[in-house]
Amino acid sequence: MTEPSVDPGVLARARARALGAPAQPVSEPVPAGLTTASDGERLWLLPAWPDGATPALLEEYDTAPMPMDRSGQARRVLAAALRCCWTRLDDAPWPGEAVPVPAVLEVYGGMSRGDAELARRWATGELRRLSDTGWLLLDESAGVVRPGPRVALWHDDALGPLRDLLRRLPEPPQGVLAGE
Amino acid sequence: MSHPSEPASGGPPTLDDALVGEAVLGVYRQMFAALARDSGAVVDDPELVDVAETLLAAFADAGEDGLSREQMRYVCRRYPAEVFENRLRVLRGLGAVREVFPKPNQLRYRASFTSVVGLMFVRRMMLDGGQSEMHRLLALEQLNVADPRMTPEQARDGAAGLARAFRLWSVELLTLTNGTIEELREQAPKLWGTEEILRRAERLHGAILRRWPQLDRACTDLRTAIYAYGDASRRAAARLSDSAGTTRNLTLLPPETWRTFARTASRDDLAAVLEGFVFDAPAPWHEPSAVVQAVEDGPRATPPRPAPPRPSVPDPGLSDDTGGDATAAERLRAVAEQALRGRDRVAVQDVLAQDWVTARRLLADLSSAHLHPELPYRLVWADGLDVRPEGAPTWISPGVFERTDA
Repeated sequence: MTEPSVDPGVLARARARALGAPAQPVSEPVPAGLTTASDGERLWLLPAWPDGATPALLEEYDTAPMPMDRSGQARRVLAAALRCCWTRLDDAPWPGEAVPVPAVLEVYGGMSRGDAELARRWATGELRRLSDTGWLLLDESAGVVRPGPRVALWHDDALGPLRDLLRRLPEPPQGVLAGE
Repeated sequence: MSHPSEPASGGPPTLDDALVGEAVLGVYRQMFAALARDSGAVVDDPELVDVAETLLAAFADAGEDGLSREQMRYVCRRYPAEVFENRLRVLRGLGAVREVFPKPNQLRYRASFTSVVGLMFVRRMMLDGGQSEMHRLLALEQLNVADPRMTPEQARDGAAGLARAFRLWSVELLTLTNGTIEELREQAPKLWGTEEILRRAERLHGAILRRWPQLDRACTDLRTAIYAYGDASRRAAARLSDSAGTTRNLTLLPPETWRTFARTASRDDLAAVLEGFVFDAPAPWHEPSAVVQAVEDGPRATPPRPAPPRPSVPDPGLSDDTGGDATAAERLRAVAEQALRGRDRVAVQDVLAQDWVTARRLLADLSSAHLHPELPYRLVWADGLDVRPEGAPTWISPGVFERTDA
């Protein structure tokens, strides 16, 4: 599409919104109206909401949030991933640490009941979906996962119950964490 | 309606003819009897038409015997009695329902065939509106033109009637085109399928002209009326689609039109519809509390360990005033020692010789020290009562506060 008349900043913002949470080098300019999360090398463009609100506010207005299949399972896998990646719970979850995917699957298996192999397969699918929507950064070739940039949008004062929860969750097995 | 040419001549031209003959007028009365509220006016409630339809259906089932009044009432039992009576009176007055034999005190009735056909026509007009009736008229006229018994006069009348209908139609469309867009949208069904009508009308026009070249004046009228109608409907449709395009109000056009567009449009056309729109990537939001909730609701390998109850408001921590037993005992011991000032016993009235607010607090503390099982103090009250009108406690029993030997 040829759009010479559109302001490049506006175009960049539209692109960022249409792509979700795209990453760009830190040196690139940030379009107005977006917040960012950076891990030092790269910068993720994230939506900015007014007055510090989050989409959780939709619930107060009885507005349906984005529909999601098996949201409970996705959130449990997210919790399992955070249990592994968010090692210093007193700090912010972003940027966290990269951990091997098997460690997350192991923690998830410990949280759930039933067929362990099935749980691992479900969890793998959820990891990919969470990675697609920017909640986790999954590097399948290296087999590691780390928190996604959207985690940086969490307010620190909302994190207390989550910290308590993660302290209660089973620990990842040390052998898997070490890479074996 | 009982003759094939009747619908074509049912329009305005033959109404003048009809007025001269009472017989034709009778047909009209019968035709519209179902619509009549009383003998002089048309119904104002569609339910009244339903009564007539119910009755006529019952007559059709009854056969040649007809129906008695009671049977008619039974058939129409859904409707109130006065509605039924009113209907029956009107239908009889207009000849749609009449006695089987024209005798006084006749109990059995039969229905008129013409009324049923008229009602069918009316129902069809209600369902499809005038446009499809126009289709039928054109088709019938086409048949008539091919009929060898057709005379040039009949053909001229038919062409003139159609021309008049098309002119009235285009006047209506022009009014709509200049009116509000909402009104235009409401009346929009009149605009669909006009191409077909135009083609039929032109074909009919060609057929009349070919068979009776002497009718060229009437045919010219018809032709201009057809063209005027085509222009008016195109203009109205253009206005409608223009405003539908600019307002993006999808209800301005019928859903089928949009569907057709979606199927037949090119990719660029489709893309142009949403030009300027940006759709956010799907981004579900996981609130931390929702994550906690999901984990807690999830299936568990081990039975859940109940979390200790926590207040929902922030906990301000321990209060300074713990009221621990040792602290309270220490405080009472200090109070007691201050009252005794090293002595082993002291008179209560001496200790209480202060203002009453302070004294009663001290008395409470001394009583507590007396009652505390671990503190070696005791209050001993004597008999008697000192009345002291000027004192702070206006009466007091003599007593001593003393150290026990514990």
